Amino acid sequence: MCLGIPGRITEMTDDLGLAVGTVDFGGVRREVCLEYVADEVRVGDYVVVHVGFAISKVDEEEAQRTFRILREMSELDDLDWLAEVADAAEAVEVPQPGAGS
Amino acid sequence: MRYLSEYRDPDLARRLVDRIRDTATRRWTLMEVCGGQTHTIVKQGIDEVLSEAVEMIHGPGCPVCVTPLEQIDRALHLASRPDVIFTSFGDMLRVPGSECDLLQVKARGGEVRIVYSPLDAVEIARAHPDREVVFFAVGFETTAPANAMAVWRARQLGLDNFSVLVSHVTVPPAMVAILEDPSCRVQGFLAAGHVCTIMGWTEYEPLADRYGVPIVVTGFEPLDILEGMWMAVQQLEEGRHEVENQYVRSVRREGNRPAQDLVARVFRAVDRGWRGIGTIPASGLGLREEFAAFDAELKFDLGHVRAEEPVACRAGDVLRGQIKPFECSAFGTECTPERPLGAPMVSAEGACAAYFNFGRLRQPVGGAV
Ligand code: SF4
Repeated sequence: MCLGIPGRITEMTDDLGLAVGTVDFGGVRREVCLEYVADEVRVGDYVVVHVGFAISKVDEEEAQRTFRILREMSELDDLDWLAEVADAAEAVEVPQPGAGS
Repeated sequence: MRYLSEYRDPDLARRLVDRIRDTATRRWTLMEVCGGQTHTIVKQGIDEVLSEAVEMIHGPGCPVCVTPLEQIDRALHLASRPDVIFTSFGDMLRVPGSECDLLQVKARGGEVRIVYSPLDAVEIARAHPDREVVFFAVGFETTAPANAMAVWRARQLGLDNFSVLVSHVTVPPAMVAILEDPSCRVQGFLAAGHVCTIMGWTEYEPLADRYGVPIVVTGFEPLDILEGMWMAVQQLEEGRHEVENQYVRSVRREGNRPAQDLVARVFRAVDRGWRGIGTIPASGLGLREEFAAFDAELKFDLGHVRAEEPVACRAGDVLRGQIKPFECSAFGTECTPERPLGAPMVSAEGACAAYFNFGRLRQPVGGAV
């Protein structure tokens, strides 16, 4: 019921005082009421649409930021993993001389 | 699709699963509020993969499931009237009333039409001035602005043949009801991202404080849910209980002001019955007096419709997170998606249907997957 899907605004018009427009969802286009986001959106922006109403403008910077964090986390994990392997290899082959003794 | 498929990346999901497992020093109990999240969690098996670190309790967040039987019976009554075109979101059509559902009324000749947007119902009213058009206005805060706009628009267009059967519910009072229950096991919440897109999260701040529970505003894709769970688990491990926002691409703290404004102009808080749970004070929205002309309950005098829940159905216990669907004796036998006894078996977002559709017929065996 509360499903909301992101789509891109391709057209904005006015229907008897109501801000409406066309939103493209990966190729499928639909008429959408833009009244609740009218002040902040332009053609080309992404909006989250629920039952024919845009309820928010997708914040592209925030979306990128989340992804950057997730990716960095993923890269860090990779590095951890590499470091572990390297540590293990070192532990066997080249023990650290004098560490902490 | 942009802003959608990337939140389903299996590699990143695995990383998050590992993070949650590493972070949790014990098993925590979280509740996801929204049925859309329940659907994703059960479909992707997120709860099973993480069963050692987190128990997910499925909350009451499916408006289809919590719409009281009485209100369904009123809808059936209206849809059967020859002068009425009854309009509804598609997911209400198979919700069982006392005797039948909207689909059966339609098969017997009632005019029932599925609409995608509430404004489509207004258009139908405009196109049929000789008929009464009733729209079944259900939903949480997410849907309220759309339904408010339909009423507002009907008045603006001067339509006198349009009305709404309102059964709106709001999330925070339901969370309070869950938290106040002495048997409540919930230690943290994933709040519903689209409800908060409209309302923001200021209402949740006093709840996190008073009940000492972390509340993480969370989206609907697998990565959203995993990140939300991770944030909640970190809070629990650190002994914090704050409202945090995972769904930053859509939710701002103050929410969507224009939408809140119109909802406040058209609706007011009313006591509302929740299917299987009972009446929760000030947990719903009803039309303001100013819009009484658009209230189907007044227009068609529906006060006499009263109904009793089927006894076998334990929807209330499921919706409160007291039992898992497979612990209901009717689950999968008397009650299936083809022949649902209770609403949680009807909607794809209902916990019972999610468990049935994704083959959760018994307790998961647990253990690392
Ligand atoms: S399985 Fe069916 S009867 Fe049992 S609680 Fe769920 S909806 Fe009700």
